[in-house]
Amino acid sequence: MMRDVDVLGPLALGLALAVALAGTALPGRAAALCEKSQIRLVNSMREIAQPYHVNLNKGGRLFARWAGLEDRYVLQLNQGDSDKQIVLMRSILATDPRCTIFNVEPNADVVVKPMVDTANQTGAWIVTHWAHGPGHRPFDGNDQWIAHVAVDSKAVGVAVSEQLVAAMGGKGGIVVLHGRLDTDPAQKRFAGLKAVLAKHPEVTLLAEQPANWDRRVAFPIMQAWLAKHGDRIRGVWAANDDMALGALEALRAAGLAGRVPIVGVDGIPEAIATIARGEMTATVSSDAFYQGSIGLAMGTCVLTGQVPAPQTWERQKRDYYLRVIVITKDNAARYAKEPVVDDYASEWRCDNLWSRATGPAF
Amino acid sequence: MTPRHRTSASVAALPGRSALLHGFRTSGPVLALLALTIGFALADARFASLANLRIILDSAAVPLVLAIGMSFVIRQGSLDLSVEGLMAACSIVCALALANDRTTFDLGWVALPVAAGFGAVFGLVNGIIVTRLRVPSFMATLGLGSLCQGLAMLLSGDQPPLIRDAQLRQWALGQTSGFPNLALVALACLAAGFFVERFTRFGRYSYVVGSDESVARASGLDVDLCKVTVFAFAGLMTGLAAAMESSRLGVGHVEIGAGQMLAAITAVVIGGTSLSGGSGSVLGSAVGVLALTVVANGLVFVGATPYLQKAIEGTIVLVVAVVAGWHVRDRLRVVK
Repeated sequence: MMRDVDVLGPLALGLALAVALAGTALPGRAAALCEKSQIRLVNSMREIAQPYHVNLNKGGRLFARWAGLEDRYVLQLNQGDSDKQIVLMRSILATDPRCTIFNVEPNADVVVKPMVDTANQTGAWIVTHWAHGPGHRPFDGNDQWIAHVAVDSKAVGVAVSEQLVAAMGGKGGIVVLHGRLDTDPAQKRFAGLKAVLAKHPEVTLLAEQPANWDRRVAFPIMQAWLAKHGDRIRGVWAANDDMALGALEALRAAGLAGRVPIVGVDGIPEAIATIARGEMTATVSSDAFYQGSIGLAMGTCVLTGQVPAPQTWERQKRDYYLRVIVITKDNAARYAKEPVVDDYASEWRCDNLWSRATGPAF
Repeated sequence: MTPRHRTSASVAALPGRSALLHGFRTSGPVLALLALTIGFALADARFASLANLRIILDSAAVPLVLAIGMSFVIRQGSLDLSVEGLMAACSIVCALALANDRTTFDLGWVALPVAAGFGAVFGLVNGIIVTRLRVPSFMATLGLGSLCQGLAMLLSGDQPPLIRDAQLRQWALGQTSGFPNLALVALACLAAGFFVERFTRFGRYSYVVGSDESVARASGLDVDLCKVTVFAFAGLMTGLAAAMESSRLGVGHVEIGAGQMLAAITAVVIGGTSLSGGSGSVLGSAVGVLALTVVANGLVFVGATPYLQKAIEGTIVLVVAVVAGWHVRDRLRVVK
């Protein structure tokens, strides 16, 4: 009868599969969850216009090529729209969810929970970066949430602000260009600045404006400040390199390029070259190439069974702080070159995935 | 002879000088601009300093060039929503044509008309899609804009091109006899736009097409040619604006047009051009652009709290729009 056939077939297949999987599982290793050729690597980020994101994508592609999965690499851009980031994830998971790995740069912190929920529901795998909403952790039963690679944005803010204050000689007025203020990096980096300012009362905050992480927005704001404050501006603090470079062009228009210390964050190649030239003071890099690839590397190790399932990992391997690098004129030359696979291959190996972890992020 | 009704179209048909006076006498936009300027100057005297006025002119240059093109489009009753995507494409083209870190071109200032021409070609395509394929302008231009945005991303590739032409950068960031160079370019476009709309047949036809297209057709005007020309002109202005902004920032940027389209349309509407077409002037749009620039600059000057800045900016724009349109609110039969 029709009904018996419908039940027996899948049941037999399931039993066979279970026996096969049990046979392949070796002690100390997990069973391969997917055929390597089935693995799909997805990099989900805001856009591709900013150099930081260009490098995120480059890192992901470098890894995909190294792993022999270049034609299985997908880039998802949400153009600053949080809803779109979630929708894009859901639509690609309509096919083959269980062998799909997401490496996510969240557009805003609130996006992480819906994406993790989607992964939990569909069986897809996800690694997130930067920051997520409070009270929500990979090890709280979110088995598909492989790891969260946090960046201690306050520490980043402190590090770069100390460079600025030092370059200013410890006194003078500064102007501040915020990023999007609904994101953790923007808020925490500024908190880092405030902590440094508290220790240097002779440095005053003259003005602050959000400039949307965009040099095009930063330019006219900096121009207006130059008209208002003139040479009282002794330093420029920007929450990212792109805004810092926009401020630099405004200074150039006023004939002040290279005469006022500027700091940014991200470590984009253009900023590193500018620091080497002496027109910018410092930046902090979380290494976009690494961020764009490590999630994919982790996921590949899990899916190919080379590491056990994330729910068996210790907590600090699932939610940890990433090591960041302060780049100044002294070390700019080292970071100015185009990255190659050899620089990162050792850190993508399944026994070395946590080489840049500096401690638990909880 | 038909009696002279004081509709906007017939105002435009008055002899040049009295039409101008009529416009300014009843001009809400200019009053709004004056009020804003005085308000901010009172809040901080340095706002009205020569240095800052220069900066306001400089910041207004690119939006003004866009608004000139947009004026013509809106006046004929159409919409051009391809501005952001087209700016992106022209920005990359301009950057790649100048001395840069990706290609070996080094066209110098010729890159600006090249980028403008690129914009004009796509503007032409807009016009053809609207007139020949009969697609409503907002859909046609939106589609083309997305196409151009994609083209820009393709051309930009992994590395946005950095402009290395030091001479051009210096010019774009510099001044001539106290006037920012980019503002001079914008003023030249304004003069050209004003000349076309006031003193050429094409300019007058464009008013008629916007006022009542069926009457224009019945009168034997080549409406399609008029429309296509207007779209091509708007594309030309968009390309030029993108080239100007890229020269200033030193980079070909895929997001260079972000927010510019709505700003241009807002400026044009605040300046007295009705969205239903048939009225308005590039001079009014220039006042609208200045008003918006003054608001943006003034808010930075007075140090409005970052968290409320957008809200305050929006409120001011609304108030300006109401004040600017106050004198025609009764006669305004169609509000879209």
